[in-house]
Amino acid sequence: MNEGQNRAVLVALIKSLRSKGSWCGETHIQKAAFFLKTLTGVPIDFDFILYKHGPFSFDLRDELSVMRAYGLLALEANYPYGPRILDTYMGKSLRARYPKTLGKYERQITFIADRLGNKGVVDLERLATAYYVTLDNSDRHVDTRAKEIVKLKPHIEYESAQKAVKDVDVFIEQIREEKLLEA
Amino acid sequence: MAKNTHEIRDPIHVFIKLDSQERQVLDSPPFQRLRCIHQLAMTYLVYPGATHRRFEHSLGVMELAGRVYDVLTNPENLTDDIRHLFPQTQNEDERRYWRRVLRIAALCHDIGHLPFSHAAEELMPKGWDHEKMTREIILSSTMQEICSDMRPKPEAKDIVKLAIGPKKALDLKFNDWEILLAEIIVGNAFGVDRMDYLLRDSLHTGVAYGRFDHFRLIDTMRILPPPEHGDEQERSSEPCIGVEAGGLQSAESLLLARYFMFSQVYFHPIRRIYDIHLKDFLSEWLEGGCYPTDTEQFFAFTDAEIISAMRQAAKDAQQPGHIHAERIINRNHFRRLYEGMLSDIVAFGGTMKARQIATAASNEFGGDKIRFDSYPPKDSTLDFPVLERDKSVVSAHSKSQVLKQIPVAAFDYVFVDKEILPKAEKWYENNKDELLVEREEEE
Repeated sequence: MNEGQNRAVLVALIKSLRSKGSWCGETHIQKAAFFLKTLTGVPIDFDFILYKHGPFSFDLRDELSVMRAYGLLALEANYPYGPRILDTYMGKSLRARYPKTLGKYERQITFIADRLGNKGVVDLERLATAYYVTLDNSDRHVDTRAKEIVKLKPHIEYESAQKAVKDVDVFIEQIREEKLLEA
Repeated sequence: MAKNTHEIRDPIHVFIKLDSQERQVLDSPPFQRLRCIHQLAMTYLVYPGATHRRFEHSLGVMELAGRVYDVLTNPENLTDDIRHLFPQTQNEDERRYWRRVLRIAALCHDIGHLPFSHAAEELMPKGWDHEKMTREIILSSTMQEICSDMRPKPEAKDIVKLAIGPKKALDLKFNDWEILLAEIIVGNAFGVDRMDYLLRDSLHTGVAYGRFDHFRLIDTMRILPPPEHGDEQERSSEPCIGVEAGGLQSAESLLLARYFMFSQVYFHPIRRIYDIHLKDFLSEWLEGGCYPTDTEQFFAFTDAEIISAMRQAAKDAQQPGHIHAERIINRNHFRRLYEGMLSDIVAFGGTMKARQIATAASNEFGGDKIRFDSYPPKDSTLDFPVLERDKSVVSAHSKSQVLKQIPVAAFDYVFVDKEILPKAEKWYENNKDELLVEREEEE
């Protein structure tokens, strides 16, 4: 995808997450973008590593900053909470310029927003780390992956890690059923 | 008895203290080489005072890293939750081990810098940058030998992680403790690398806007849970670095200093064009047009060798890189034809125009007469936690009016040979509307 397509997909993702009730802070967008790329196969141009609250992309952080500077996104402050990221009028114009790209990935964006839009940072951190570990681990046993999560993120309890692993296995199954990867 | 603590005078930190084992790293040839690498490349051609080197910056980063570590791990500044998550803070041996690793990593974080720092980093082979070179040098037998005598003995892999951080070590896995320690050095908001270079560059360039109250800032830094979001049933307990409420103003002034230094110094157009002339010279002068990555060959290059070669090449038209060397030595640099401001870029729907203008100008005047350089507005800090007096943790962005308003620095330049400047300016005026038109990208 070129720069414009990448940005249009991000704006569409943010809009979709918000429509499903997401707070849409940076962490929410980071995790949703991680799933969009790695779970549904939308080729957004960001590399993710295990960092703050699980998978994280420094390129995506930079891109969100660029998009804010260009007026495609805006920040909304709500004391005492972290800022929310909003799409803007210019963001809407950008989306209008990429109807083919957004049409092609609409189902994938909706799939992610439907599943993650109502989640807070704590849930997103567990789920995204669980999927990161799943991708990284040939041993698919729930217990193995849950232990790996706790090792990497000691503040996550084993039971929560186990639940997160089971939840991402459901996502993987749903992706297969809906044939989203082949789309 | 031989002295174990050494003090080095420094214009920023007054005294930098190190022990005899750390001094062995300081005295090693790879580190001493940094005495010959200008911190700000050829910025001294614009700001004459900017002749300081990576050597003193690296010492400053080590000093600040130690200070920050001591504040963050001070038992009085830790909550029970943080103690529980980071048992390293409770065990004196571990605390000492990681302090050692952090300071050595801070000392070595720039050890792989090329001559003139960032100016010609693009001339490294594909997949290489100064962070990768730093990693190679830390893992080299020379450095390993020095570290093996230290007590506590720092593991090379730990030094590498903290020196270059997760962003530049994508293949390494970091646990939460290592992420936190790497953030002390290379962190986007309060990294001591940034603190030292802003203060030091400000002093040496004479650009006073780079100063901020780093004493107050460091004293108020704390390990905190992240700011809460409004949608949380429970808050993430993954810790990060934030500040006490009393340090918020110094954090704001650091982030303002960063903006001013970028817009006034680092993105100065003449400084940028000298970097380009240097890159052009080196691409002709270096064997194969790129820097070697073999450590022994790499150590042979410092600013001194390059300056000497440029002075020779400037005098002799037969030498490789003559034209570019002549431009640098005789201050015959290209002049600015176009400068896109952030407001222009926004008006163009987020498209930087320099490349487009440079391509058209090259077609008109020849590629050797035109250069361009751009940097998008990408370096901003969204948020960090602030510890209120009632012990609640809030978002800095929600609390600070200043943070909401700090602009992001960017630039978009086209330069031309000064011989054709009047002609090029006329050409640009006549074709401006066509050149600046927004082109629809292909889907």
